Amino acid sequence: MQKRLNLLITTYTLLTVISAISLYVLGEKRVDVYVSLNILAYYVSYATLRPTIINRAVRFLNIALFIVFTIIVSFRIYEVLTS
Amino acid sequence: MNMRLLVLGLNILVVSILLVVYGILIGDNGLVGIALSTSIIGGVLVVYSTTPQDPSITALMSYSEILTNAIISTLEDLDLLESQICVIKRGNHVLLVYSKNPCPIEVDPGVGFTSGSPYLAIPLKTLIEFSESSSETTSTLLERALTTLLIEEYSACRSVRVEEEGGFYRVYISGLVEVLKQYLEKPIDPYTLLTLMAASIALTTRCVRLIDKRIMPDSILLIIGVERSAEKT
Repeated sequence: MQKRLNLLITTYTLLTVISAISLYVLGEKRVDVYVSLNILAYYVSYATLRPTIINRAVRFLNIALFIVFTIIVSFRIYEVLTS
Repeated sequence: MNMRLLVLGLNILVVSILLVVYGILIGDNGLVGIALSTSIIGGVLVVYSTTPQDPSITALMSYSEILTNAIISTLEDLDLLESQICVIKRGNHVLLVYSKNPCPIEVDPGVGFTSGSPYLAIPLKTLIEFSESSSETTSTLLERALTTLLIEEYSACRSVRVEEEGGFYRVYISGLVEVLKQYLEKPIDPYTLLTLMAASIALTTRCVRLIDKRIMPDSILLIIGVERSAEKT
């Protein structure tokens, strides 16, 4: 159980570091891109290494991150449609 | 609570917030993005620090083992290993009762005799507050109560389905948690106990009893019967 949780945190951190460094090197200046990729990295890690024991706080975190991700994506779609 | 993870998460949060402020001041959006991204990592670590840790679960498992063995010994002495299991509401008490008679009326917490046969009644703490909706069927009510208790509160399984059939309720519980599977064959089985208790609360009935239990590799089927006669508390 603990091993899986450690692996989840390691994978998630690693994916985030890789994506953040890559975006910065590419000269990306949009803040929401960093945040959305981070959330995506979290969900990929979570789906792959689903921890067996979670609590209410983790469920709230999952919902909160999903809402933030949805807002970012919706805003981008809105921008494309109105441009 | 994992203190190391909590401290690490809080440190990351503080540093990343400072970086966000610095990034805004120097007008570097890339830095703000990285700092915000890092702050999410800090938040995730803080949240995951609240999940139960291995040592506490191990301690709880050995504690449960001791209590389960004590109750099994009592049941053996009372010749109640092949008994009926039911949950009875009596006044403000909810009792888990092991008895040869299904749904005995006069039971008190502890060991005793009713209708000439012994029983063991264990008081249960009510674990859920349940709001009833008149538009829902009893099986939907029970399914909602079990989802709240088994999935949302305890993460004890992945899914729960309830079907009503001729006055009986068939409860399918799947995706069982590994640590709780070892209790499935024992008289004190957390899934049975919690299901009976949730049914007793959700269906506002005096007595709920286990009729049959079928154990499958990753799931369990419980067939429960409800007795609506006598007092309704």
